[in-house]
Amino acid sequence: MPYKLWFGVFEDELKLAEKFEDSFVNAVNEKPIPFNVAELGIKVLGREYYRTLRRVAIGVAEKRIREELSSDERYIISLVKALESVEEIINVLKEKEEDLEANAIGEKFLEAIENMKELRDEIEREIDVVMAKIAPNLYEVAGAKLGAKLIEKFGGIKKLAFASSNKIQIIGAERSLYKAIARMKRGKDAKIPKHGIIFLHGFVRNLPKKKRGKMARFLASKISIAAKIDYFRGELDEGLFESVKRRFEELRREK
Amino acid sequence: MRNVRIINGIPATKSRYGSHYGERVIEIGGEKYREWIPWRSKLSALILKGHEIEFRGDERVLYLGASTGTTLSHLADVIDEGVIYAVEYSAKPFIKLLELAKERENVIPLLYDASKPWLYSGIVEKVDFIYQDVAQRNQVGILKANADFFLKNDGSFLLMVKAKSIDSTAEPKEVFDAVVEKISRDFSILETGSLEPYHKDHIFILGVKI
Repeated sequence: MPYKLWFGVFEDELKLAEKFEDSFVNAVNEKPIPFNVAELGIKVLGREYYRTLRRVAIGVAEKRIREELSSDERYIISLVKALESVEEIINVLKEKEEDLEANAIGEKFLEAIENMKELRDEIEREIDVVMAKIAPNLYEVAGAKLGAKLIEKFGGIKKLAFASSNKIQIIGAERSLYKAIARMKRGKDAKIPKHGIIFLHGFVRNLPKKKRGKMARFLASKISIAAKIDYFRGELDEGLFESVKRRFEELRREK
Repeated sequence: MRNVRIINGIPATKSRYGSHYGERVIEIGGEKYREWIPWRSKLSALILKGHEIEFRGDERVLYLGASTGTTLSHLADVIDEGVIYAVEYSAKPFIKLLELAKERENVIPLLYDASKPWLYSGIVEKVDFIYQDVAQRNQVGILKANADFFLKNDGSFLLMVKAKSIDSTAEPKEVFDAVVEKISRDFSILETGSLEPYHKDHIFILGVKI
């Protein structure tokens, strides 16, 4: 069995790669290699082994970073769009199933609904994995699904990071917002929406109606910070979610 | 720990390099020490809490979940004559990690998913030590897979476990017990302990491959 190493392929004897960048990317082996890669490498490359390895690793990573940064974001946006379509399909199918329940064909609809639900769960799991990777702070503070929906609505992490937190608070409720503004312009009373898709967050949804506005405002500001950290630093800030949780507990106890 | 000393109650590592992430550099007797704040690094918290891990300084180390390289930069000061393979799968923090790798000769940066060790199986050599701090749910599986591929017999590992990453709804204690139980099936555990108050709901597990 040939062993694929970053500097070549070993099968009985070593065949040194022409371009280390290519062999580096192809150094994939199903099972652990039974010998020490570096020992063999040092025999071939001598004292330059680690220096060469490091140079190739840095070169390959630099190229891949640029590709990954944009493709992951496009992927998450596509996933969210797909998820929304699948959810819509499930609703439509359910409606039709109720109409046809009494007939034999109703059974077929139930089957289709089950299939669609499986697909939906699969997409949600994928969103979870990708969000944890590309936006760890949004993942913690907003949750995978809401975080992904926000990225999709704003058209990318950068745009979300630069958005104002009140925009984050009401996005998804634009229609009622502009309706309210129009009414106010005419001098009438109007209710400004307190939350848009942010309502999907358990901390907002699970509070009594009177307190949801406060929570939504606080959560939106923390989501804004989370997006900024994800965009600029990309490292998880442990304290952020704690502060959101504390605020939720506070509001819950408050009379 | 080698090259570590406590200065004014806070660990610091003796370093030939300057500041990596904005930490203070203190000079004592002509030697430079980089301040290692326990709230920012779990390994620093572990040291400050009095736990001891011995290094010779020339180990081969596999570091899973290197993120922006905060802890890694200090570990690279400790293992200053060794080699650290630093794996991180998220591109954003990797940019910062690359800066470190360009400066430090003993750091080899790998942009890979730690749950797929076969992808870098032809790159990483057999190692003496695995340091793992990943936020993925399947932490035990990741450790096991990487130990199978790369850890020498008698090689040791240090695993940082965050309860919330594994199950955000369960009680931390239950999560920890389950993790320790799972790990003890494949490894022998030397020591476990909490990282409070520096890191909430985190524990560390130090063990050996048998």
